[in-house]
Amino acid sequence: MCSAHATVRGLLGEIVAQGEYAGDILVDMEAGLEHLSRGTGRHVNRIVAVLEPYYRSMETASRVADLAKEMGISDVVAVSNKVRDEADRRAIAEYCARRGLNLIGEVPHDPALAEAERNGLSPIEHGPDSPAMVAIRALATRLLLALLCFVPIASGALPV
Amino acid sequence: MRIAIAGKGGTGKTTITGTLARVLGRSGRTVLAVDADSNPNLATVLGIPPTQAEALVGLPRDLMQRRAEPDGTTKVVFARPPNEVLDQYGVHGPDGVRLVVMGKVHHGGAG
Repeated sequence: MCSAHATVRGLLGEIVAQGEYAGDILVDMEAGLEHLSRGTGRHVNRIVAVLEPYYRSMETASRVADLAKEMGISDVVAVSNKVRDEADRRAIAEYCARRGLNLIGEVPHDPALAEAERNGLSPIEHGPDSPAMVAIRALATRLLLALLCFVPIASGALPV
Repeated sequence: MRIAIAGKGGTGKTTITGTLARVLGRSGRTVLAVDADSNPNLATVLGIPPTQAEALVGLPRDLMQRRAEPDGTTKVVFARPPNEVLDQYGVHGPDGVRLVVMGKVHHGGAG
């Protein structure tokens, strides 16, 4: 009767309930929404919705945010990915503003990621200073700052 | 921090999850990365060598078990201490990031 998802949920729930684990937990969720609606996100305190500058991807991020809120996770932030130019940036900013999504980061389109994948390498080892890696490091800093300062995470342009 | 990274397929969730994990691990934090995608490929992004990644065993579903409660009802609980489970099923990758992978998803009526 228990699905693979339920087992992940059970493990996370038990880790959180015991309160002994003091480290970070990052869950790479399954594409789509079913996973989230089954409550796998229940044991995290923040959901990062990744969106690309095209409509269906932005719509999914928006539904992720809605579902998370229904589950009682109010801390949902959005991060854009594969942003190529100003038009992409504007499309995402406008969409997020319209839907009330808190956009906290932008990861640019980065050919080094495809190269890393072709070579079966970790992107951070393949091109540690490629544009996407620099942006994700900045995102980590921003997430940590929000954590350490106990303040709502700020939106807007990432610090360079 | 405990975060879940979600979004439509192909948006780059795994790249962002794996790289965040590496960056946090490199800065000295203890990091557990959980691959909850039924098509797991977080190991590659984390830089776990293919031989080690292929040997990874997903969390078995029987970790969840029915337990009889004193009031006669049954409850489904996680049956083992989580640290033990992480030691058994987790692998340590570069920058000290520990990875656990969801078990295979069985589609259809059996789920």
